[in-house]
Amino acid sequence: MGALGQLGSAVLRVCEPTSLLLMIAGVTIGIIFGSIPGLSASMAVALMLPLTFSMGSSLGMNVLVAVYIGGISGGLISAILLNMPGTASSIATTFDGYPMAQKGEAMKALGVGIVFSFLGSVFSFVILTFFAPWLADVALKFAAPDNFGICFFALTMVAVLSSGNMVKGLLAGMLGLVFALVGLAPIDGTARFTFGVAEMRGGFNTLTTLIGIFAVADILVSAETIGSGVKTIPVKKVRGFGFSIAEFFKWIPGAVRAALIGTGIGILPGIGGSTSGMLAYVTAKNMSKHPETFGQGDPEGIVATETANNATIGGALIPLLVLGIPGDGVTAMMLGGFLIHGLSAGPLLFVKNADVVYGIFAACMVCALIMLIVEWTCIKAFVQVLKVPKHVLLPLILVLCAVGAYATNNRIFDVQSIVVFGVIGYLYHKFKLPTTPFVLCFLIGRMTEEYLRRGLMRFKTFGAFFTRPIFCVFFAIAVGVILWSLYKEIKAKKNS
Amino acid sequence: MFFRKYGDIIIGIFYTALGAVTIWLARQLPKSRVMKIGPDFMPMVIGVLIVFLALMLLFSAVKNFKANAAKAEAMPADTSDYKRVLASLVLVVIYVNILAPVGFILSTLGYLFLQIVVLAPNDRRTAKNILTYAVIDVIFVFVVFFLFRYGFKIVLPAGIFTL
Repeated sequence: MGALGQLGSAVLRVCEPTSLLLMIAGVTIGIIFGSIPGLSASMAVALMLPLTFSMGSSLGMNVLVAVYIGGISGGLISAILLNMPGTASSIATTFDGYPMAQKGEAMKALGVGIVFSFLGSVFSFVILTFFAPWLADVALKFAAPDNFGICFFALTMVAVLSSGNMVKGLLAGMLGLVFALVGLAPIDGTARFTFGVAEMRGGFNTLTTLIGIFAVADILVSAETIGSGVKTIPVKKVRGFGFSIAEFFKWIPGAVRAALIGTGIGILPGIGGSTSGMLAYVTAKNMSKHPETFGQGDPEGIVATETANNATIGGALIPLLVLGIPGDGVTAMMLGGFLIHGLSAGPLLFVKNADVVYGIFAACMVCALIMLIVEWTCIKAFVQVLKVPKHVLLPLILVLCAVGAYATNNRIFDVQSIVVFGVIGYLYHKFKLPTTPFVLCFLIGRMTEEYLRRGLMRFKTFGAFFTRPIFCVFFAIAVGVILWSLYKEIKAKKNS
Repeated sequence: MFFRKYGDIIIGIFYTALGAVTIWLARQLPKSRVMKIGPDFMPMVIGVLIVFLALMLLFSAVKNFKANAAKAEAMPADTSDYKRVLASLVLVVIYVNILAPVGFILSTLGYLFLQIVVLAPNDRRTAKNILTYAVIDVIFVFVVFFLFRYGFKIVLPAGIFTL
């Protein structure tokens, strides 16, 4: 039977009532976990893993896929409504989503996010279904120097994000790099900057860092002005998804670009949705005819981020299914799911368990549709959050964040570290330092060092990196980005 | 006013010190015996970059101090309510430190109620409001507790009292 035939019969199996109901439940649980700051998609998959034990292998994997898709997409809800990314993947959604919500366009922002999450997912699933083995071969060609090139390129995005006051933006990012150094060094495991504190040997957790920088800092910032009275944010009612057909078609080129970035980054193990969302956002801003509107509530910012982070799902499933390599925490959990069901992810999976593989492909498509319907149905319920007065809402969120931070590793240290990052976030606000470079550098700093050192272990000298075309391309783009940003900065200074 | 007027100078001094400490700590780290770069390489690079950028900022801030100070003074006065900020920070610090020994239920009941009252505008602190906050506090804490403990199977700190 050809690929299309196998896919067709898998779609029929996936659409059986029991399977459909379980996937709806899975997507909904994923959305709940994704939308609560502090709870993550990987936590949701970990929670559902034992529940799938009693199911058949195909059904079990489909439910896990449902949770994964819901979990990544759900992050946009809190990012837009509360300025707190539910997951690391939706950090860049806050940049334009929250300003839109503040202008009364919360429903439109959610509509844009939901539709382009769906389209990003579908794009990557089509790629996954038809090009998985070929793309897995491409992924295998990426060695450590190439990944270092990508990370270095992503780091140079700080320069773009900091345009207007580059020195301050770069310094803001440097503190993120310093925090990324804390813990055991990659490769040799030397303890760095741990000051004898055992808990610091594991470094600071990404989720707790985000919670601190966004949630705790927001409480402190809000406390400055909250006494002047209760402000309610208006919510404009919208028809459909809140945007016109003309707007939709105008955003499509940007969405395709973001989907390619998302799927491309997803294929490379270890880089992840948070990086792809950021990269897509910065690329969209750079290529826009009106970059000054980004960060002020431009729907194109949401289009870029949400398309990219959801497109990462399909990309991340490629090395998992074809090579048995998990790219991030969630796919590592999914690999656990394969083991529980007696399946071995890798090239033989396509031969021995083609029904499971095509079941996953079909489930991806169906779950993306379920996600669209569930989120759209609940959109009016989501915006009710804006009606809760801020002085009540913020403490409730902080408690959820604290619980989420604790649940990540069952360590009180993680809860305590949210205060440290909260204070940093507040001071950044007071000193007009942008938090985005901090978050970007924190996320990518460790990876950059790891790939650099791995590359040097294998290729001995940094000069040897230049024998690799993939590294050369990314390095050249990165240098170009730096030079272009410097040129723009100097030109702007001269004009002012 | 203070942040606007002296902000860049403070940032410059802070980051110069941070860079210097990073370099100093990097020098304490062992060098790799098998590779050209060891665990000290990245901290050293970051430290040097921080010092370089911080000095650039400091130089520019000092050079333009008079112009920036005049701009800052022309802007409206800072009306931020720092008492509320400080009270919130103290509450959060206490909460995260008593969460384990006292337990989720009792510490959150106390923190949540006090935090809502601290953040509430003055006209929202009537007896009726306070009672509403207390009800929200109790309902929310128990809903979260039961949802996480029995729904998501996530064990929360038990401390001296749990269910």
